[in-house]
Amino acid sequence: MLLHVLHETSYRYTPEVENAHHIVVLKPSSRHGQTLLRYGLDIDPAPVQLHESCDSWGNARTYFSLQAAHQRLTVVSDSLVQTSPMLPVNSVASPLWEAVREQFRYRAGVAYDSASEFLFASPYIPRDEAFVAFSRSSFLPGRPLVEAAQHLMSHIHTSMTYESESTHVNTPALEALHQGKGVCQDFAHIMVACCRAMGLPARYVSGYMLTNPPPGQPRLIGCDASHAWASVYCPGAGSIQGRWLDFDPTNNRMPGEDYVTLATGRDFLDVSPMRGVIRGGARHTLSVAVTVEPLPQPMAMAL
Amino acid sequence: MAVENNNNSLFTDLALEGPTEFASALAPPAAAGHFDELRGALSSRLQTSAELPAQFQNQSQGSFPPLQPMLPLPSLGDSTALFSVGIAPLAAKAPTPVQSSASPAPLSPNWTTFFNFLGTDGFYDLNHRSANLQRQIRDNGVTYNVYADADGPQRPWSLDLFPMIVSERDWAKIEVGVAQRARLLNRVMADIYGPQTLLAKGLLPSALVHGHAGYLRAMNGYQPPGGTYLHIAAFDIVHGPDGQWSVVSQRTQAPSGLGYLLENRLTISLLFPDAFRDMKVQRLAATYRALIDGMRAASPVADGRVVLLTSGPYNETYFEHAYLARYLGLTLVEGSDLMVRNDRLFLKTLKGLEPVHGLLKRLDDEFLDPLELRSDSTLGVPGLLQVIRAGHVMVVNTPGSAFLESSALLGFLPALSRHLLGETLTLPSQATWWCGERAVMRDALSQLKHCVIKPTYPGTGVASVLGHTLNQRELDEWAGRILRRGEDFTVQAYQPLSQTPTWHGQRLEPRSAMLRVFAVADGKGNWQVLPGGLARLAGKNENIASMQHGGSSADVWVMGGANDRRATDAGNLTAPTSPAADQTAIKHTTPAAGPVFQRRPVTSRAAENLFWLGRYTERAENAVRLSRLTLQCLGGENQNSQPLLAWLTRMAVGNMLVLNTVPPATQARRVFERALIANLADTSQAASVGYNLRAVKSAASAVRERLSQDQWQMIVRTESDFFEQSHNFGPPAADHAHTATELKQGRRITDPVPEHELKVVLEHPAEYSPVEALKALVSVSGHLAAVTGAQTDRMTRDDGWRLLSAGRLIERLQMLAAALRRGFDTGAVYDEGGFAAILALFDSTITFNAQYQQRRDMTCLIELLVLDRDNPRSLGWVLQTLCGRLTKLAGLTVGGPGTSEPAVPDFLQNLPNPEGWTLAGLWPDISHLPLNEHVRQQQSEHLETVLATCTEEALELSNALSRRYFSHAASASQSLGA
Repeated sequence: MLLHVLHETSYRYTPEVENAHHIVVLKPSSRHGQTLLRYGLDIDPAPVQLHESCDSWGNARTYFSLQAAHQRLTVVSDSLVQTSPMLPVNSVASPLWEAVREQFRYRAGVAYDSASEFLFASPYIPRDEAFVAFSRSSFLPGRPLVEAAQHLMSHIHTSMTYESESTHVNTPALEALHQGKGVCQDFAHIMVACCRAMGLPARYVSGYMLTNPPPGQPRLIGCDASHAWASVYCPGAGSIQGRWLDFDPTNNRMPGEDYVTLATGRDFLDVSPMRGVIRGGARHTLSVAVTVEPLPQPMAMAL
Repeated sequence: MAVENNNNSLFTDLALEGPTEFASALAPPAAAGHFDELRGALSSRLQTSAELPAQFQNQSQGSFPPLQPMLPLPSLGDSTALFSVGIAPLAAKAPTPVQSSASPAPLSPNWTTFFNFLGTDGFYDLNHRSANLQRQIRDNGVTYNVYADADGPQRPWSLDLFPMIVSERDWAKIEVGVAQRARLLNRVMADIYGPQTLLAKGLLPSALVHGHAGYLRAMNGYQPPGGTYLHIAAFDIVHGPDGQWSVVSQRTQAPSGLGYLLENRLTISLLFPDAFRDMKVQRLAATYRALIDGMRAASPVADGRVVLLTSGPYNETYFEHAYLARYLGLTLVEGSDLMVRNDRLFLKTLKGLEPVHGLLKRLDDEFLDPLELRSDSTLGVPGLLQVIRAGHVMVVNTPGSAFLESSALLGFLPALSRHLLGETLTLPSQATWWCGERAVMRDALSQLKHCVIKPTYPGTGVASVLGHTLNQRELDEWAGRILRRGEDFTVQAYQPLSQTPTWHGQRLEPRSAMLRVFAVADGKGNWQVLPGGLARLAGKNENIASMQHGGSSADVWVMGGANDRRATDAGNLTAPTSPAADQTAIKHTTPAAGPVFQRRPVTSRAAENLFWLGRYTERAENAVRLSRLTLQCLGGENQNSQPLLAWLTRMAVGNMLVLNTVPPATQARRVFERALIANLADTSQAASVGYNLRAVKSAASAVRERLSQDQWQMIVRTESDFFEQSHNFGPPAADHAHTATELKQGRRITDPVPEHELKVVLEHPAEYSPVEALKALVSVSGHLAAVTGAQTDRMTRDDGWRLLSAGRLIERLQMLAAALRRGFDTGAVYDEGGFAAILALFDSTITFNAQYQQRRDMTCLIELLVLDRDNPRSLGWVLQTLCGRLTKLAGLTVGGPGTSEPAVPDFLQNLPNPEGWTLAGLWPDISHLPLNEHVRQQQSEHLETVLATCTEEALELSNALSRRYFSHAASASQSLGA
């Protein structure tokens, strides 16, 4: 599927900001099942300095700074992404979840899998017994990993209420679990937290999802939002490379070609689309507008 | 004094032959199972009171508590704080005393030498030296902010009289082992931020790297110059019962102690000069030079600027930050003094932005950069990590080392050493088990009772626990916790710490000690181990060992120094009295650096504090001068002169020495006098003498690193002496908590005095003695003369000093102009008493009498107090000098030195110019006119206008300076997330 994503972030400041440093993570990665065909980042006012680098997980991040006083800042990313359907997953044939947990236990001198990094607590996903308790019904003894993860996904989907603006960007997973409601970010955090609580590597994915307008109505520009889901590591048997499998507890489904992956990290903090430190601008307002639209294939050929 | 009598009788009764016997008799052995430093052997016996010499037995029923056997604390260094709360066991479980009939073992050779140098007479002097020590600590302002917050108390640093002595042989092992460990830690860090082969090979668990918040992904792939990730590494080591030293923990993030231990050394070496000189104690200065050399070598620019980054005066170890900055000759900066532009780091100074190439940081990593690390940090510099990665600044130590501090790492180091260095560790660590590995956890659980349980990760709020203090149920609970979350816990073998002698007024008491030692990278690829350290002593019978609860420190004397009888450490390092001398000591003895003259920049923050230091100093002087004059006049021969009383009232009210609700002196002289006295030391109601002295201290403490030790001591003493004396003339000063807040907010006190306060003054006249108040004012005046003298004479005249001076001159201008205006308003200038009082306030009585032979003539007064350009208290002099200072500060010289007059900066344009003043212009001759009110007014009209302009412009100038020089120190940063 060919997806066009426009993501606009704008800030208005009072009083003006004297100088600012920002980091944005808005460039979709080219990774399995997804190819970035075109990308543009437009920043207004134009920064005095800008450079792009990779973080330690391969996500592209752009740093820029503004040294002149400004009262507003607009950042627009414009991406064209070719996605493909996800490979089918045989949930029954996956390894037992206990076997995966055992594999990730440290033993001196035993080879290490870099997915280990996603076993541990991270700033927004603390370790807590509440996650263990919540996961118990999903991780039954002898269950294959993928089946258990799918069960957990449904469990979150059914026991949590989706309610926009019920949490903040900096609400940690535990708080969302306690209040029983949240947005996609919280759903994803909880799923990651539960897997880690069971000793399984799991990570946070930020991205976009194609939504369809009600029948007969045109697609509205800017009515979409950025999305987030979870990814669980499924080691390969023998020499076969392990694989990260995505789960979207908000929609209770595994992401497919209607999803665009932006970045992956331990939690939201690692991949927040835009962060910054400003001097001045005591009060500010923020607005974010995202549009995801499918394009007919021939257009891609023309590019 | 009771104590000294006690001592005398003690020593006489003992009738022992030599100082060593004295020491031995006065020192009970260390608790059983501990290594006794004094005797150089394992202590096997417990001396009960029954075994004490008869003399002691008598004493022990009186002033001595019975000897308590004491067990040591397991760990002092569990967080980055120097004196973290560690658990020391209760003294409950006394080991069974081993009966021994023999007299205590002889003293170790080093202690024997020490006491021989002290001599028998020296023992009588110990309490005296101890008192000296306390005074010096207080005078030097050595503090440890206990609660590390704005309003929390500062405690004096606690230092024991006796050093801890480390033998040459022991040190040789420690030195080699510590250098090896520092080298190893650096290699581990290089691997983790590079290829991560240690993880791939399973030599280090991912949990201790990826699972540790101190591992900074933002630093992945970063390689510092020379591969030197660490420049300073600190190790906490202990002396076990078997006499072997071993490592308990390590600190790399921002290890504290390098400043305190230096202060300890300078203090203690002076108290035992003979022993220090002749026992060949190893000197410390060379290691500090090596640190500077190492940082220079790693700097991206030759002769780049290195600054010391502090988290500010509220940090618990701020004293040490300022001390080290002064000693090493580095500018002390806070995060807000720095900014990032184009991947480079700059310091905001009076001269604009100046590049910075090196940071010696005393900030924990997570606070360094709000853009990439903790977004709520206000202590860091946004964008700093980017500058580091771009290779434009060297940071000591490289951010991301905190994972090396986990005690869990100790268990892995032997294997890492074999792998990375191909060497066996020569200095062992305490046996350590990280419970994240199943097999290891099982081992650890089986011996929990004899171990210490420590948290693997910082910030968990879990304190270390000593196994043998737990009962069976608690042990089971701990085992359960460890089984559930093994990786969170590290179990470490527990050994009793060695006990070193400390002086306690009447005897030597053994105290458990832990030693912090430091290794520094010298820039040539080697590690130098500082031959000394910081000994931290557990309190007596304390459950918690920390500075809050009686923990203390000791100097550490390492034997085996060069045979140089002349050198003392103080001589080598230069006495801490002069920051300038300290810097030259470092610089001149570093041939590699060459005679590079680097003018120390003045940060905008320091500039602002210096400016206010100047203003408050002058205000304090004015307040003292005016209070003195007022009290003298009220009791003097002109006490009934109405114009004088009116003038005094207006001056006192105008300067907020009394509140305007107090009846004027013209109506109620005594009430006015009492109100003035009552307010002298009041810091909450008035801009009193006390208030200003405190403000001086507060401003000075923010620029401690720029003031000599002498100058700081004078400021501290001026304030404390005055408040001490204030008890003689009034009730104790009110609660000072407000003052600190008010000072911070820059608020002046204008609230009217509550009625009941006034009543207190009126109802208790006896307490407000003018005689005592005058005595205190005379004394504080002398102290202040020393403070202002030091400002005038003992500070480098850089731009910071110019602002300090400008601050004083602006205050003086206001005060003088206001005094003269009020003199005209009240008619005091035309009154004999008033005339004399004004001269006295301007400190010009003597000059006046010498020049004008006591002629009470207005023209003489105006010549001396307005026109005279040589009298530092005339308006002409003040204006001229102020202009000169600020012109030089603005740096607007035209042509060059000598070629032409400097241009006057714009903010000085409106200031009255004394060049154009003449006596005839300011004070027209009216001798041809009839003398009446109207003519008099005409005569003084012009002068009064000039005075009014001076007052207004002084205020305007202060605002202009703030806008121009201090504004960018003000506005705050905030983080955004979307």
